[in-house]
Amino acid sequence: MSKRWFRLDTAGLIFPAVAHSDWANVFRFSATLKEPVDPKILQQAADDLRSRFPSFYVRLKRGLFWYTLQEVRKSPQIREDYAYPLTFMGRRERQTCCLRILYYRNRIAVECFHSLSDGRGGSVYLLSLTARYLERKYGLSVPAGPLVLKAGDPPSPEETEDSFLKNAAPAAASRGEPRAYRLHGHREIRGFRHLTTGILPTDELLSLAHRYQVSVTCFLAGLMARCIMDMQDQEAPRKHQRPVRITLPVDLRRLYGSRTLRNFSLVLNLGVDPRFGDYSLQELCTVISHQLAAENTPQHMAGIIASNVQPQQILALRLAPVGIKNAVMRLVYRRAGECGGCINLSNLGLVRLPAEMAERVELLEFIIGPQLSYPNNCSVVSYGGKTVISMIRNIRESELERRFFSALVARGVPVAIESN
Amino acid sequence: MYCVQCGVRLQEGAERCPLCRTPVWNPGEVAGEASYPDQLPPHYRESSRALAIALTVISVMSIAVILIICFRLYGWLKWGGYAIGAILLFDVVAVLPLWFSHPRAELLVPADHVAVALFLLFICVQTGGNWFLSFAFPLCGISCLLVTALLFLLKYVRGGKPYILGGFLLLLGGATVLIEFFEHITFGARMFRWSLYSLGVLALGGIFLLIAGMVPSLRQSMRRYFLY
Repeated sequence: MSKRWFRLDTAGLIFPAVAHSDWANVFRFSATLKEPVDPKILQQAADDLRSRFPSFYVRLKRGLFWYTLQEVRKSPQIREDYAYPLTFMGRRERQTCCLRILYYRNRIAVECFHSLSDGRGGSVYLLSLTARYLERKYGLSVPAGPLVLKAGDPPSPEETEDSFLKNAAPAAASRGEPRAYRLHGHREIRGFRHLTTGILPTDELLSLAHRYQVSVTCFLAGLMARCIMDMQDQEAPRKHQRPVRITLPVDLRRLYGSRTLRNFSLVLNLGVDPRFGDYSLQELCTVISHQLAAENTPQHMAGIIASNVQPQQILALRLAPVGIKNAVMRLVYRRAGECGGCINLSNLGLVRLPAEMAERVELLEFIIGPQLSYPNNCSVVSYGGKTVISMIRNIRESELERRFFSALVARGVPVAIESN
Repeated sequence: MYCVQCGVRLQEGAERCPLCRTPVWNPGEVAGEASYPDQLPPHYRESSRALAIALTVISVMSIAVILIICFRLYGWLKWGGYAIGAILLFDVVAVLPLWFSHPRAELLVPADHVAVALFLLFICVQTGGNWFLSFAFPLCGISCLLVTALLFLLKYVRGGKPYILGGFLLLLGGATVLIEFFEHITFGARMFRWSLYSLGVLALGGIFLLIAGMVPSLRQSMRRYFLY
């Protein structure tokens, strides 16, 4: 039987090109159960989902002109976690399988190369895997829903489509953005990642955000911007400072009604320029909220999508060998890809699980790895009355985490900290 | 258990706050379960061995083809010597580093210079020229000394990068005058046609870097501009 293959989607094209000898863009979603995980049943559950998630059980194959995702014959072998999440996924591993399934004590985790899917797609896979695991272990029947897909159902073509191509505007939006402030520090040896997880009550965080009259995402982005501005104040006088912008990924599925499980999100760099004056937290939250409202429209996003889609249609680039394409994409990514933001803040929002699952799942966690050019990243997910803020870094200094979580505590939100 | 500095609640049994490193004193508390195991992943490094093998095979085959063609057509090497020399030079410069999992530039750069010098010597002998010893050899030697010293200092000396780079630019400026001198004694060219310009530009750059090394605020803004 011939193996199925998929073209990389528009967003996924960039990641094999910019991956290098010690960095690849991988993210992680995990579910902590109320009792220890049985690895044998987890492996069976992973095998069961192979036909339901064809675009996840794939390996990255390098052709003469393009990378493709080729279906693998066997599910990835599940294994125990290492001392830190998101260990480097090297070229050899990506060419074997771009998906990792891990467990440790009560936790099931999935780590996924970003060319396969984004956070929303990854969360659907992890929750479907967890549901299948619980079904196998306890003989439950977890009903299908937007976040949980049933193992036996056939995959729909919409789930594997590249929705970027369908929703691009005829004209592209400008990519030009000023270079934002760079967080920096002393790199950890051997690629070690420090993970600091803050667990806080969702209702208290929500009421705090409402006090500032913004959403939780905008409040957290405002608070993060405030902390980064304070750090920059200690390094340079105001007139020599750089813009402080928080990179917020936006899930486009809601905007365009897509059901794809591939990448379908874009990022917006929102923030302020400290050279123009100081901003209070209230002002930062309001500015970011207004910027988000103004930019997160189907029309504006379609323009940004077009700026990503249009280069793919240039004949000279299409005919160029993959090595040349990679060099061009690396150059573009270094110049424009990450320069506009200081840190990613990816909020998956509130996750609601079916009652059959909810009584056995304690905690959900979402982690994105550090970017190529900046060392810290932050991701958020809320479930079961708890909001989990995961801050990862590949440097020794924990200054940003200290300022951020202390600021939350100072505003009356109790934060429980865990770290590796 | 809470951190007295940050006010956050800590994991059971934590010895220090992970945010501010403040020690925690709680003698009665038993350590809780760690959220991650202790085992580190195996050290991974991308290997270029396959590419190295492919390029070496291509080089060997190319040399064999050149030898066959030259000996069949002319009965001796003729132009084949230059082609083979160029292929071997390419192998030393581009393929040799691929064979090592941790290529060390401070060792490979002298090897590259030796290869270039040998290739130039071959060309000089073949063409009956007398420019090798008085021009090409000193040029290779100066370049080898300067680049190797730069790589060595950048790798093994902690800090002081502006001084190292500034000193390198000043020496490079001086080297351009030497190169013009060797050009003068070998080919009879007039002195100081171009080297004083390059000396001026490189010396200015070098002095700027030395000043940057001495003035912390200038050094910081340069770091911010170029690195972050």
